Amino acid sequence: MIDYQFIKANTAAEALKILADKNNVKIIAGGTDVLVELHKESRDLEMIDYLLDISGIEELKEIKIAEDKVEIGSLVTHSRLLKNKFFAENIPFLTAAAKDIGSTQIRNRGTVGGNVCNASPAADLFAPLLALESEVVLRSQKGKRNLKITDFIKGPYKTHIRNDELLEKVVFKIPAGEYYCNFQKIGRRKALNISRLCLAFLTVIEDGVIKKAHLVPGAATPYPTPFKKIDDYLEGKLLAEIDPAETGKMAADAMVEITGERWSTPYKRPALSKLAERALSCVKEEAGYDG
Amino acid sequence: MMDKVNVELTVNGEKYEVEVTAKERLLDTLRKQLKLTGTKEGCSVGECGACTVIVDDKAVNSCMVLTAQVDGSKIITVEGLESKRGLHPLQKAFIDNQAVQCGFCTPGMLMSALALLNENPDPSKEEIKTALEGNLCRCTGYQQIIDAVEAAAAEWGN
Repeated sequence: MIDYQFIKANTAAEALKILADKNNVKIIAGGTDVLVELHKESRDLEMIDYLLDISGIEELKEIKIAEDKVEIGSLVTHSRLLKNKFFAENIPFLTAAAKDIGSTQIRNRGTVGGNVCNASPAADLFAPLLALESEVVLRSQKGKRNLKITDFIKGPYKTHIRNDELLEKVVFKIPAGEYYCNFQKIGRRKALNISRLCLAFLTVIEDGVIKKAHLVPGAATPYPTPFKKIDDYLEGKLLAEIDPAETGKMAADAMVEITGERWSTPYKRPALSKLAERALSCVKEEAGYDG
Repeated sequence: MMDKVNVELTVNGEKYEVEVTAKERLLDTLRKQLKLTGTKEGCSVGECGACTVIVDDKAVNSCMVLTAQVDGSKIITVEGLESKRGLHPLQKAFIDNQAVQCGFCTPGMLMSALALLNENPDPSKEEIKTALEGNLCRCTGYQQIIDAVEAAAAEWGN
């Protein structure tokens, strides 16, 4: 039986006090995951005594863009991410990922913090956020701590957030110089689409040479992981000389190294290979090396 | 015993004070407490859009929101469309374009379309499709619905 007390926090300080004082608290923001769990009468919700609603906390709804750094408040909705002009112009793979989440109704409620804290293996925002080497800022009454998003994810649907902590924001540095990014996704249908596979790619180029590469597939591994092997292979090479198809195959092999052969491998191996190939081809074309 | 929460809502311009359980969804409050049964329950998990209403100018699935979360909000349901002057241009356009078959998805479609036109009175076909992508219709095949929203947008412009 699910039975809890509903508490609404109007400020982050109020929320942190409740998290510090009470046990068995579940946080609800946009509710697009929690309400599904409620409807399914999920066992996990039977353990909670309090549902803490943070959806009205204004200080967590800010998008701050400085010269070299971006801060996205945990309560920024996918719709706001999608409509942000700076992201559309400068970090378009984040916009592309936000655009493919759920539907207009879901994007109007679902939040960046919710997507990150729910830690679904198929969470669309993880791939670009990992490629951007994002950090999460966790706040408790004891203070703040920053964690790399890769260190924040513990496993499928699990993170290293403590019971007394609130995700305040996600932060990342705006890539400097000449850089390109791309997001690819395959789902079973166009709208209300939960990723079967997605992939984010970000690269920084200097004089035609790949200085930095981050290739991050989503829904390919139990939880989103950067494919360092591919990044290492790409870095130092001329972008013009990269073979997207070959790199795609390497990415697919790297996935199978992590997951082993699974029932879905015959589908996911060629599909991921193609996604990586497309992302690299798009980036090459954008950079003017489409020949 | 489930905790109760007092909530104030403005629905279609009228203020209501309701007592809800901590688990009550906005959909249940609208249908069961306020007897506004135009809003439909379809899938209950945010996939079909039949329960779409407008909360503070945004289209949302009312099955995905706890009423306790939207204390103080302004809500528009399908019942808020018709006025003393008659049917809303969107309702007229749905009839004129034969965009209604069984009608179950229609209230949600109308709310998604209204939220779109309130924000963007001159949408492209793609923008209409995006606005309606969270609303499933198992009868019409969508074309008539998109035509209706386009027609209503043209009427809006006049």
